[in-house]
Amino acid sequence: MTEAHHIALRMTNISKSFPGVKALQDVELEVRAGEVHAIVGENGAGKSTLMKILAGFYQPDEGEIEVDGVRVGHWNPREARDRGIGMIYQELNLVPDLTVAENISLGGMPRRGPFVDHRAVTQRAKDVLGELQADIDPASRLGNLSISQQQLVEIAKVMADKPSIVVFDEPTSSLGEKETRVLFDVIDRMRRAGIAVIYISHRLQEVMEIGDRVTVLRDGRHIETRDVAGVTPDHMVRLMVGRDLNEMFPKLDLEPGERVLAVRGISREGQFADVTLDVRAHEIVGLAGLVGSGRTEVARAIFGLDPIDAGEIELRGEVIRVRNARKGRSAGIALVPEDRKGQGIIPGLSVRENFTLPVIQRIAQGVVIFARRERAIVRSLVDRLKVNPPQIERPLNAFSGGNQQKVVLGKWLLAKPDLLILDEPTRGVDVGAKADIHEIIGEFARDGGGVLMISSELPELLAVCDRIFVLHEGLLVDEIARADATEEGVMRAATGQVAA
Amino acid sequence: MTATSTASTTRVSAPGTLFSTLSVPIAIVALLVVGAIVSPSFLTVSNLVNVLNANAAVGLVALGMTFVAVCGGLADLSVPANVAMGALVTLGAQSFAGPFAAAGLGLLVATIGGVVNGLLIGYLRINPIIATLGTGAVLLGLSQQLIGGGIVYGEPSPLADFVKGSMLEIPVMVWIFAIAALILTPVLSRTAFGRWNLAVGGNYQAAEASAVPVRFTKAGAFVLTGLLSGLCGVLLALSNGQARPIIGTGYEFVAITAVVIGGTSLFGGSGSVLRTVGGVIITALIGNLIILGGLPTQATGLVTGAIVVIAVGIDVYFRRKGGRE
Repeated sequence: MTEAHHIALRMTNISKSFPGVKALQDVELEVRAGEVHAIVGENGAGKSTLMKILAGFYQPDEGEIEVDGVRVGHWNPREARDRGIGMIYQELNLVPDLTVAENISLGGMPRRGPFVDHRAVTQRAKDVLGELQADIDPASRLGNLSISQQQLVEIAKVMADKPSIVVFDEPTSSLGEKETRVLFDVIDRMRRAGIAVIYISHRLQEVMEIGDRVTVLRDGRHIETRDVAGVTPDHMVRLMVGRDLNEMFPKLDLEPGERVLAVRGISREGQFADVTLDVRAHEIVGLAGLVGSGRTEVARAIFGLDPIDAGEIELRGEVIRVRNARKGRSAGIALVPEDRKGQGIIPGLSVRENFTLPVIQRIAQGVVIFARRERAIVRSLVDRLKVNPPQIERPLNAFSGGNQQKVVLGKWLLAKPDLLILDEPTRGVDVGAKADIHEIIGEFARDGGGVLMISSELPELLAVCDRIFVLHEGLLVDEIARADATEEGVMRAATGQVAA
Repeated sequence: MTATSTASTTRVSAPGTLFSTLSVPIAIVALLVVGAIVSPSFLTVSNLVNVLNANAAVGLVALGMTFVAVCGGLADLSVPANVAMGALVTLGAQSFAGPFAAAGLGLLVATIGGVVNGLLIGYLRINPIIATLGTGAVLLGLSQQLIGGGIVYGEPSPLADFVKGSMLEIPVMVWIFAIAALILTPVLSRTAFGRWNLAVGGNYQAAEASAVPVRFTKAGAFVLTGLLSGLCGVLLALSNGQARPIIGTGYEFVAITAVVIGGTSLFGGSGSVLRTVGGVIITALIGNLIILGGLPTQATGLVTGAIVVIAVGIDVYFRRKGGRE
């Protein structure tokens, strides 16, 4: 190690066990001031646990933490913050009804006597927003801002404490391409200001782009730390999964059958207008668009979660009127929602109970649920979807994101739909589970179903889909066949550079 | 394939879950032991039968309240009003409808109260505490208006004799409670409606997106509680031979106490009817011990109130802890 690098953070031989699981074993992490240090690994590799130790939420069983060369002992989240560690999570920790300035100073309001010094609060917000070159009015109500702007406020809140180490945990998973650009500019400025940035992401392209060095974790162990300049995404994937994934997105070639879904001119006030699209049997159709383009809203409307103002929806040649999810299910539609935690899983219920929820009436056949029958159905599905560990009585919140997603997907396969709508089916899911999920989707299409899939990850859409519809500000602007689809082409349409 | 199938049959049984399944029976045994020491008349068949008999009616309410808690409906505060309605109509309508039809009418009126709650909470999505506080006040006012604030007396009838009687040495009231518990336990754990309650309480939006009839489920829990409150009122009226509007005062709290002590979370998503039965027995024994121990009856409120706050506190603590991990 040359003296040129100032070591902002050094974590050595960190080990941490939870009942029944060794979450971390002898993990090393060294982060330099003024670098963006990426941490990658599958779900369950130990990234979150390591960061929670750094932030003071967990105490390590063994190991040492040094911040700026000074060893720290047992510490709590507040002490960690006071020692210059800032955490930015995927979920925002802000109060929608307060102003931007109030949110930024929430942790420690400047006071004059017993009263809040509003002038100082505003000034503090102005200063820190200025540093971030964020064009946000400190006086505006937080809830009125876009998600991307809210995230900037979250960053500003952390930066107001003048941290020397900032951790970003999956910051882009709710952002579109444009918002991600803004975020990267901010991170780049932090780097130049000499802040040590730790960046956790599943999106390897982003790591390649923004990272200086990368640390790979697998099964709670440190695998490798190296300069990003010398690695390829393929190499990183190999290190993460410990095996080769020859083809990340295998594609079955299937002949499209008859039309499963025909949507004609549907509109919903303030969300989307005059959307017409179709999906055929054996076909996987993509729905692309930036965050806020109305893609999730279109999906929800087709399934019946939100009512439409105009237009009609036809399933297998019959016009259907879906007013709620029950009607959608009966019509033969399934929706795997974008927000897994909020709308996908029932955390406290077991894998079994989550799996059978949409079809529980059918399983109950009359009055009583036959436990043996229910378990048999769930077990065969757990095997097929490779849910790991295959313990069907365990509560679903004890599983990793990838396994939770498999259960959410699987419960809808049980309903035997004709049309499967997937909203970001692989978001926040590790590489191995992602491949499994793609396989499940492929099998569903092979067996005669139609798939409508939304994803923010363009390479995924391009690899998986037969056709791609592109939404821009609530309008359908393009339909691109598989053969003609390129990332640039989809992006041009999604950013409104193609006339509708 | 076979290997994974066998693996999936093993239920996870951490020491913690074993403790929590046994904690209710352990508490009952502990209370019996303490009671035997405190008072020689505690551990006698006649005392224990009396304790159960005195708590069977409010126990029925607790069974319904379990569904309310499990589906994320917090609690039904209109219980005293529905109990009063059931009781007053049962006795008041006897003169023109006869005892059987009058009792049926009492049940019907309380069930309608539950339906109103269900519509307000399930379909209009009004906060359950506010909604039931409101309907409770309205119904109680209505019942007072109905009888002019006095007491309604019943006439002797074969139905009243039956309710006051015993079968196989066990009071009929206890039989009714036991049968209701025996029916409702599998309703929560083994029917689609029960599973829906757990799902709605666990994550409302996810349940809705999973084609669960969320509004119907939530409403159903309140209708059930209304019906059982009515049954409670009918039984009280028939066994006492008289009823006043304040007949069910405090029953909502006793029921909540029993649900919470049984270990069903007030925040929804988990719980069982059988545990509530345990909770009813524990609250009953505590109340009895306080009286036998020579403490003033007012101490009952103090003790059960403290237990509820502590039990809910522990629940919240473990939920937080679980959420963080």
